[in-house]
Amino acid sequence: MKLKLITAVVGIAALVAPLTACGSTSNGGGGGGGGTESVASKLILGGPPEFKTRVDGVPGLAKTYDVTFASFKSLDAGGPLTINALKNGQIDAGDIFTTDPSIKANNFVVLADPKNLYTAQNVLPLINKAKATSGVTTVLNAISAKLTTDDLIAMNEQVITEKKDPKAVAAAWLTTAGLDAKGSQAAGATLTVGSANFQENVVLAEIYAQGLQDQGANISTKLNIGSRETYIPGLEDGSIDLIPEYSGVLLQYFDKAATAETSDDVFAALQKAVPAKLTVLTQSQAQDKDAIVVTAATAAKYHLTSIADLANKN
Amino acid sequence: MTDSSTWGWLTSIDNWKNSYSQTGISTQIGNHVEYSLIAVVIAAAIALPLGLLIGHTGRLRWLVGVANGLRALPTIGLLILFYVLLAPHFHGRGNAVFLIPTEIVLILLAVPPILANTFAGVQNVDPAARDAASGMGMTGTQVLFRVELPNALPLIFSGVRSATLQVIATATVAAYVGLGGLGRFVYDGLASHDFPQVTGGAILVAVLALLADIVLSLLQRYAVSRGVSGRFSSRAGTGGPAAAEITQLEVVTH
Repeated sequence: MKLKLITAVVGIAALVAPLTACGSTSNGGGGGGGGTESVASKLILGGPPEFKTRVDGVPGLAKTYDVTFASFKSLDAGGPLTINALKNGQIDAGDIFTTDPSIKANNFVVLADPKNLYTAQNVLPLINKAKATSGVTTVLNAISAKLTTDDLIAMNEQVITEKKDPKAVAAAWLTTAGLDAKGSQAAGATLTVGSANFQENVVLAEIYAQGLQDQGANISTKLNIGSRETYIPGLEDGSIDLIPEYSGVLLQYFDKAATAETSDDVFAALQKAVPAKLTVLTQSQAQDKDAIVVTAATAAKYHLTSIADLANKN
Repeated sequence: MTDSSTWGWLTSIDNWKNSYSQTGISTQIGNHVEYSLIAVVIAAAIALPLGLLIGHTGRLRWLVGVANGLRALPTIGLLILFYVLLAPHFHGRGNAVFLIPTEIVLILLAVPPILANTFAGVQNVDPAARDAASGMGMTGTQVLFRVELPNALPLIFSGVRSATLQVIATATVAAYVGLGGLGRFVYDGLASHDFPQVTGGAILVAVLALLADIVLSLLQRYAVSRGVSGRFSSRAGTGGPAAAEITQLEVVTH
């Protein structure tokens, strides 16, 4: 009886013991030689869970910029967790997409990436080759020629923050860009325009669809399809014909071993990597890519304008 | 790193140690136990007195139904909601802003089973025993703590055990808001397509839940009166039904 009681107590103790042990070791990493610490070694980085192991995540920052943060906090992919944590100081730097409207809303500072750690992600049309007639190509090229990163930020703000209808936002952009004139450049073409399941991509698909429609094309849409793994097979089997894409991730999708980083290199490699049935048209200068973002206060305190500055001794 | 199976992940020493890029399994087990223990202890502190009170007085029964209804709320949704509500009030380093929403959702899960079982346990005490106790001159409080509570213990324990199981399994959501615990391996594994890590983490959660249940069942054996549980040591001289009656009597009179 007494023996059993002791076993029970020991059992509970064994379960509780790690609790007290873990308290002291919860902050891993950091530290280092006194007096010569880098700025980053005092800061906490936050981002999506896979950022911890991603080639351009924590390992990439160390390899390319010699930047090692005090610790990394797994949050979400530029979502409410990362943005709130950065805003309120639970993290000092975050991995956020360059076109996120919260960057402007919170006066966050996007650190420059002079060594191209983050692959170029220019917006471009991915289209079924058979549907890319010269008329359709002309219309889409005219759109790409006008589209900028600032446009993406402004449109994201309208659809995400102000909850405006993507259709109306797309129409407004076409008007501002002077591309809303009725014509017959794409007359006779019949296309199904698809989009991935996030707002920015939906607006871009609407811009393609309305731009082509204005020029006489017969357009139907399949928006919010899902991820690349779902819609690329759709493009190949003809259930959709056209979708707005991002050069860097698309190249990575078709060629896992791709190493191109700059806009031009990525585009050149992408033209070779797309399957025979598909093709990419001229890319726009608009980019939606990962960026290391800090608050204005942190940027001012440590004089940060580029990721490389994080390696400075302070 | 050599063996890419789940077993390989579980048995690699490096995965158990802390490093710059990864918090080890041992530390995460500690974190997981910590989050779960906080939730169960607070939930018990809320639900036990409340359940005893409702069972004893027969008032406020609707509370038990309301608490049960709370179980239907989606945990992840609540977690994000509480986080977004709390975030503006917390500034600077520290995990409180992530820990508090996590504990709230875990407590919300743990309260209903403890409350319902405590209430039911007290309700189901043999009215004859209760009357006898009053007849002997016991006050209401004495009846509650000397008769109703000991008799309700088996049901109370089963409530605490089912709450504990559910909390340990659900504490994986802590990782969703950037905390540690065994959920870290499940979420990180999913995000980086490292499936041995996902299954390894899930297996550890299950093992931890089973261990906790074993510990609680041991505790239950020693906490519940033999008169109630009907368990007797074979070494006891008299043994048998006669002893049962004696102990039953003891429960009532002590």
